[in-house]
Amino acid sequence: MIQLFFLKFKESTISILTIALLLTCAGLIILKSINSGLESNYFQQSFYKQLLFLIPAFFAFLVAFFIPRHTIHRYIYGVYGCMIILILIPFLGDQIASTYRWIDIGLPFGFQPSEFAKWIVVIALARYLSDHNLEMNHFTASLLPIIIVLIPAGIILNQPDLGSAIIIMIPVLPMLYWIGARPFHLFLIVAPLISILTAFHWLSFAIWAFIMMFVIFKAKPNLIFSVSTFFGNIFLGLLSPVLWGLLQGYQQKRILTLFNPEIDPLGAAYQIIQSKTAIGAGGLFGKGWGQGTQTHLKFLPVQESDFIISVVGEEFGFIAIIILLILFSYFILRTIRLAFIIDDRFSSLVLVGLSTIITAHVFVNFAMTVGMIPVKGLPLPFVSYGGSFLLSSYIMTAIIMNVSIDPKDY
Amino acid sequence: MLKAANLIPQKRLLVVSGVVIMLMLSLVIRFFYLQVYFYEKYKQKAEVNRIRAIPLNAPRGLILDRNGEIIVDNYPTYVLTVIPGEMVNKSKNFQIISQCTGIDSTILESNYKKYYRGRFLPSRIAKDLTFDQLSRIEEHKSELTGINYSQFPERYYSGKINASHLLGYVKEVDQTLLKNLDVEGNYLYGDLIGWRGLEKKYEKHLRGEKGVLFVDVDAFGREMGHSIDYQKVIPVPGNDLQTSLLIPLQKMLEELLEGKQGVVLVSSPKTGAMLAMVSKPDYSPDLFTGTTTIEEWQNIISNTGKPLLNRMTHGLYPPGSTLKMITAMALMEKGKINYSELINCNGVYELGNRQFRCWKEGGHGSMNLEQAVAQSCNIYFYTIVQRLTLDEWAVACKTFAFGELTEIDLSSEAKGIVPNSSYMNKLYGRWGWSKGHLLNLSLGQGELVVTPLQMVQYINILAMKGKAPRLHVVEGAITKEKSINYYSQKTWNRMEKFMQNVITSVYGTGKRANPNITGLTIAGKTGTAQNPHGEPHAWFVGYGEKNNELVSVIVLIENGGHGGEAAAPIAGRVFKFLFSTKENMKLAFTS
Repeated sequence: MIQLFFLKFKESTISILTIALLLTCAGLIILKSINSGLESNYFQQSFYKQLLFLIPAFFAFLVAFFIPRHTIHRYIYGVYGCMIILILIPFLGDQIASTYRWIDIGLPFGFQPSEFAKWIVVIALARYLSDHNLEMNHFTASLLPIIIVLIPAGIILNQPDLGSAIIIMIPVLPMLYWIGARPFHLFLIVAPLISILTAFHWLSFAIWAFIMMFVIFKAKPNLIFSVSTFFGNIFLGLLSPVLWGLLQGYQQKRILTLFNPEIDPLGAAYQIIQSKTAIGAGGLFGKGWGQGTQTHLKFLPVQESDFIISVVGEEFGFIAIIILLILFSYFILRTIRLAFIIDDRFSSLVLVGLSTIITAHVFVNFAMTVGMIPVKGLPLPFVSYGGSFLLSSYIMTAIIMNVSIDPKDY
Repeated sequence: MLKAANLIPQKRLLVVSGVVIMLMLSLVIRFFYLQVYFYEKYKQKAEVNRIRAIPLNAPRGLILDRNGEIIVDNYPTYVLTVIPGEMVNKSKNFQIISQCTGIDSTILESNYKKYYRGRFLPSRIAKDLTFDQLSRIEEHKSELTGINYSQFPERYYSGKINASHLLGYVKEVDQTLLKNLDVEGNYLYGDLIGWRGLEKKYEKHLRGEKGVLFVDVDAFGREMGHSIDYQKVIPVPGNDLQTSLLIPLQKMLEELLEGKQGVVLVSSPKTGAMLAMVSKPDYSPDLFTGTTTIEEWQNIISNTGKPLLNRMTHGLYPPGSTLKMITAMALMEKGKINYSELINCNGVYELGNRQFRCWKEGGHGSMNLEQAVAQSCNIYFYTIVQRLTLDEWAVACKTFAFGELTEIDLSSEAKGIVPNSSYMNKLYGRWGWSKGHLLNLSLGQGELVVTPLQMVQYINILAMKGKAPRLHVVEGAITKEKSINYYSQKTWNRMEKFMQNVITSVYGTGKRANPNITGLTIAGKTGTAQNPHGEPHAWFVGYGEKNNELVSVIVLIENGGHGGEAAAPIAGRVFKFLFSTKENMKLAFTS
């Protein structure tokens, strides 16, 4: 049994795990810097707590790595069902930090099922797309996969957690593309969303209408289809301000702050200001470990999880940012490459989906700290503090290594 | 199973990898831009200037009376805030502050915990500081890192009148409150939120919008002046609230009722505006502003008169004989009564084996409807009410809006109960109640209970002969009209004449409500409601008219005895106040 394990381990892509461990170490170094000067006892410090979280992460890794691929394939729908129930459970409990994200498991820390939903949805989707020999030229073939994604995404959006909901929805696009869906069909999936969003600004709506016309013209579907697509979207766009007007004032405000937290000048805008100052002040080489004045005067909010990159930027500089980005890029591109090489479609799709999750997390997290996109509370894989996500990240690593081995009888 | 073979064209690999590389490159460019290209700018900013966001509190709107006189105001106080992350030695700091201000350091500590928002956000540890205390703190400023003070507009109740139940109060938002808050709007710890009465009902209107001031701070946390990079957001004060109250009248009535338990409500039937709203016992409206000692609080809580109870909206009382008009009008409209019909009252009425008594022991002798209303004869009404069924009677009560909300613009009110046959069946069983109950109910006793506000509505409907606007306290509040087309003009007029007789006839029970002012005609009715808590409750309801100006008054004195003796004189004082001088009439009736 153990021999078998080592055999399997040897054949897997160990460099992926190496990178994960390197990133975790980097995270711990930064957490230690944030904690320095804190008087509290060990178990209140995020550094020691993160070390503690590594133990369950290690075991989760072993399990996820060792489970045979066909077992994953067989039970994933059941797991998907359980997951839906799990993400509904927090709605029964009390709100924590005014959201329904956490399940209280009677331990000093809570548990966030939505983290696990991310990769469970990807695997379920991979099974569906590989089991059914879908005729990807047809648009209808893309519909059921979208429903698989939309159910959990909708629930999580209500928690409310826009960040995680987006992460759950995004992998479906590259996965469909990967197995041959026409880019035009993917365009059709995204179009209604853009129609609704641009409808509030007439110029962008007009530009969008032209883009839509152009794309439909290029794709050359039959006449009825093109006309109905175009006018369906225009109609949806025109309708959405009306529907918006029907909402109560506080409902509108809730939605607005979801998309643009900067409305609250004491909240997100302030965070971005502080984060940018910290990163910019770091320069090429940074101020050195434990020397970040912005960090240590506690100007930065949630610096241990969502804004950990600001600390990296301030204390270790541009060089460290580049190194982190290279590590992440290697991890992601390597996974995509494996997806290309692997022989069976299920594994290939799992790999594409998981690499999309990691990519989205990395991009959103980095981009938000420098104000490229609005603040979305998404942690950085392996680096950020947080038990559920660390566990989840290592499970994803294990699955990537697991399914990328040549399909023999492991 | 895992059979589907995987054949991916190389193009797709290139596209997907390309997207990833593009995303990563955009990040690299952005970070390069910040960290290398603009390094100098940000370095300076971080070394010399740090930006601190200071919330600027917006004062709440004022509450005014009908002539623009201020009832509730704001006054500036100072609050002490602390930024936990900048504080070097917490216990030492608190000790110094405690010495300077005389505030116990355990209170500082508990406030610190209560309002803690995060290590980089200021949390409030003390409030209502005087200038003296502040200057002493300022002397120690060099030792106190992370401690700041700012102005805070505290709610101030002018003290001219209490009106505590009406005005309500504001509460400070703290951690536990914030968790359970279901009001829209962005509230932070230490903010004020309207919690009862007008303060709550008009919270959105009264509350201002906060501003933010960005200041630069040096490495020691000292403020270096306004930040140039970030614009100040100016706070927007809340809107003022103009009520329909008349301060001098309210004040007079509060003094008149001191030491009693009861309610006086004065309104203008033509508009539905409330001129005075007194519920006694009450409390000082600044009871909840945070300066109350535990002892004072204990006094309020343990007071058997329940000063916290808003008797106007939530006190449920039997209305007594003031309800007789309903029975009379229902019968008149149905033609079931003859105005010259005489019924003899000898003090006792027997129905089955039960005896019902008139309040006048010897009896009133033989009398018609007009005399029975004026002298409030019970026997007369026991006799005639039997011409109605319970449900007919209940419908008549509902036409005067009993058993439903008055929809006045206050945060909440009680509905009261108008029992009909299905209600009685539920309460006593199908055969458990009898005509005897109806006899009792027609005199406003028994299962029927009303709020004083409903009584105002009732008397306004009578005064306006069926078309009374809904009650309201705030000028400009949207009011619907409560209109009844159930009774003919003739019936209304006749009822008014009967009610005027209550005041003017020799034996009239409401004589003492009449201040004898020329040109003033008053219509009214007294009530003496039996209740299990001792002496009967004294009621007077009525309205006066002079020079086409109408005012309605209801008075309820708990356990006050006879309505004609305990309640009517207070109504007399109201009429006298409003109609005796031209100035007061002008104050009350011009808007």
